[in-house]
Amino acid sequence: MLFSSITFLYYFLPLTVFLYFIAPRRLKNSVLLFAGMVFYGWGEPKYIWLLACSIVSGYVSGLLVEKYREKRAGKIFCSISIAVSLSFLLYFKYVDFFLANFSAVTGMKLSLLRPALPVGISFYTFQLISYTVDVYRGAGAQRNMVRLAVYISLFPQLVAGPIVRYHDIEGQLKDREHSWHGAAEGIRRFVTGLAKKVLLADQLGELCSAYTVSAEKSVLFCWLYALAFALQIYFDFSGYSDMAVGLCRVFGFHLPENFHYPLISASITEFWRRWHISLGRWFRDYVYIPLGGNRKGRGRQMLNILVVWVLTGFWHGAAWNFILWGLLFAILLAAEKFWLLNKLEKSRVLSRVYTLFFVLLSFVIFSAENAGQALYNLGGLFGAGGIPFVSDEAVYSLQSFGIVLLAGITGATPTVRILAEKLSERPAGGRIIRGFEPFVFAALVIVITAYLVDGSFQPFLYFRF
Amino acid sequence: MNTKKSGRVFCITFLLLFGGGFLLCLFMPKAEYLYSERRMPAPAPELSADAVKSGRFMEDFDDFAVDAFPFRENFRKIKSYTAGKIFGRRDNNGIYAADGYISAMEYPMNEDSLEHAADRFRYVCEKYLTDKNKVYLSVIPDKNCFLAEESGHLSMDYAEFEQQMAAKLDFAEYIPVSDLLELDDYYKTDPHWRQEKIMDVAKRLAQAMGTELSQDYKSYTLKPDFYGAYYGQAALPLAPDSIQYMTTEATDSCTVYDGQNQKEIPVYDLEKAAGRDPYEMFLSGSLSLITINNPAAAGKKLVIFRDSFGSSIAPLLISGYSQITLVDIRYIHPDFLEKFIDFGDSDVLFLYSTLVLNNSDTIR
Repeated sequence: MLFSSITFLYYFLPLTVFLYFIAPRRLKNSVLLFAGMVFYGWGEPKYIWLLACSIVSGYVSGLLVEKYREKRAGKIFCSISIAVSLSFLLYFKYVDFFLANFSAVTGMKLSLLRPALPVGISFYTFQLISYTVDVYRGAGAQRNMVRLAVYISLFPQLVAGPIVRYHDIEGQLKDREHSWHGAAEGIRRFVTGLAKKVLLADQLGELCSAYTVSAEKSVLFCWLYALAFALQIYFDFSGYSDMAVGLCRVFGFHLPENFHYPLISASITEFWRRWHISLGRWFRDYVYIPLGGNRKGRGRQMLNILVVWVLTGFWHGAAWNFILWGLLFAILLAAEKFWLLNKLEKSRVLSRVYTLFFVLLSFVIFSAENAGQALYNLGGLFGAGGIPFVSDEAVYSLQSFGIVLLAGITGATPTVRILAEKLSERPAGGRIIRGFEPFVFAALVIVITAYLVDGSFQPFLYFRF
Repeated sequence: MNTKKSGRVFCITFLLLFGGGFLLCLFMPKAEYLYSERRMPAPAPELSADAVKSGRFMEDFDDFAVDAFPFRENFRKIKSYTAGKIFGRRDNNGIYAADGYISAMEYPMNEDSLEHAADRFRYVCEKYLTDKNKVYLSVIPDKNCFLAEESGHLSMDYAEFEQQMAAKLDFAEYIPVSDLLELDDYYKTDPHWRQEKIMDVAKRLAQAMGTELSQDYKSYTLKPDFYGAYYGQAALPLAPDSIQYMTTEATDSCTVYDGQNQKEIPVYDLEKAAGRDPYEMFLSGSLSLITINNPAAAGKKLVIFRDSFGSSIAPLLISGYSQITLVDIRYIHPDFLEKFIDFGDSDVLFLYSTLVLNNSDTIR
């Protein structure tokens, strides 16, 4: 089920909120678990068993790892649990990639298996691994199966994160506070995320689609596409994260932040501290540091960076362009770590231009169907293939999407937030904001509903990861 | 208002909004037909174990929920308004309004589609026609030709379009009509041309094909407001059109036979004029095969391969022919035509709008 759907907003959500708040405290987790299963089963009824198996496997592994933590068996159970989780992911997401490449290298014509990718598998697999490893490292295993199931299947963040580490939420699974203030904060956040998704990301997606189907490519159109896609994926994914954080807040959970205005970063290093923060943290804690991080010399550190970023790219999709995307970041991050970062600090403007340039390039690679198309689109940015500088379609798109792009660029910076904060610091401003806020947000919901009713919805980009 | 109280007000506002929406979705009567979109709404899904297991129930429910949403039409208007006025979008799902007209952008020129259409026309000619048949081609520009470029929307090169079609069908005599047309020859809310404005086009076609038409037309205006096909798609508050139709002695005395449903039909079906698509009043809309017999004229016969634009011009041409056969090869495969049509020495006119030629995958 999509957050940005009439079914979710006007059927599932009111019903779930109603059941959750009338349920006695001891049954609230059960309501969330049931809602999570309905939410997941709505889009993926045939894979609900996979989610259930993952939960049961995680539960049993957690208990075994805890019991034998001090012994060698603990390590073995932990490894088995990780292997089981990863084997699901490898099969459903990567098996065809390996088969296709094996066929290409050996000349054997192996049939592809074409398994449908279960939505959210990359996210909940990482949460399960986080749970097992945290238990191995000393956290207490969850004895209440419902609580563990809620951790894995909490519907607001089940299919596209943020990836919540077990020990960050362990206490809240047992007991959490509910308040009008917290719920209001959550609703604000949810509506903001919904607006990012429906009003900005989906409209920018239309511009990207216009570019993709156009036979009139031009340099201007290629750059418009690069900008539009970077903004689209930002608003799509950060919008989803906002909705997840907001909904969880309504139910009393505090989820970690996943985005912090990444497009204003002054280096790629900073960009990755602000973009998909939970994934970066996961790879740091469960891959980079266990590999030795920066503790084993410069050469090993370089290798660790390379491994982490190839895996990060590969996590996003089973295709070479995602690996290329990861490699590009590995090279840039290594260059910054060993040489470039000091130089970038000398000019805030140039460093931002540099960052934005490579971020746009990276998303052109990211958005391509395959490595060949990625190179073709990259070439287009620089006029390769003899394409003209402008085309009618590019000019029309610029005119038709100019305000959306401008709104996107403004929304990708903290300008609006800073203005709102400054206004609320003044006594009169604070009163005005508090007085008008419900109406402004309600109006936003009505406009969003209008867009959904008109049928211009697009699935979340990150659902395919 | 303190923070605690404002939080409560905020939550109650949204409880009312989503909770009220939920109750309205459940209990408000559902529309049986979406008039402005000219379609049936998605039906309520059937609940069964199989449907749930396969995911069909959920997919159907999502469609149902959107189509049955309370005040759907008003929400579509809000969307259209927001897209145009707030976000400055030049078009809304490809539909745009300019100078009081609504149109769907038709861009770019699809050369493969032109080639496909030309192939199919060539196939018909090679299969059925002989030296006795004179073949003509005329391309009707859609209203974007007069509206798009002026209003800053993407526009095809219509001269190039006609040139390419004429070149691809070099065995047919090309009859240009675009120089006779202008924007107000089209309905404001519909893609089609207005019958009362295309008499000069009919005369040009007749003259080029060597016949003369009656000059004695009577014009009638239909009372019901005509909201064309684009009106519902645009969801913009624009004034409706009105439909006029023209009669001559020939249209009064001719008989029209609907070969698809094997029954006689009127030239102008006033019941359809009051129906869901009033433009269907002209020769009863999309039918694969229609024969108009004019007992007052002798000799000349015409076969028109056509799209919906042909429905409104054929009645204007009938005074010059003893028989006109209209064929829509989007709805009947050309291989079946020998059962119904004796091409004899009839003239053959391929009369198509740029809208169909540029999206010709429906032509069989």
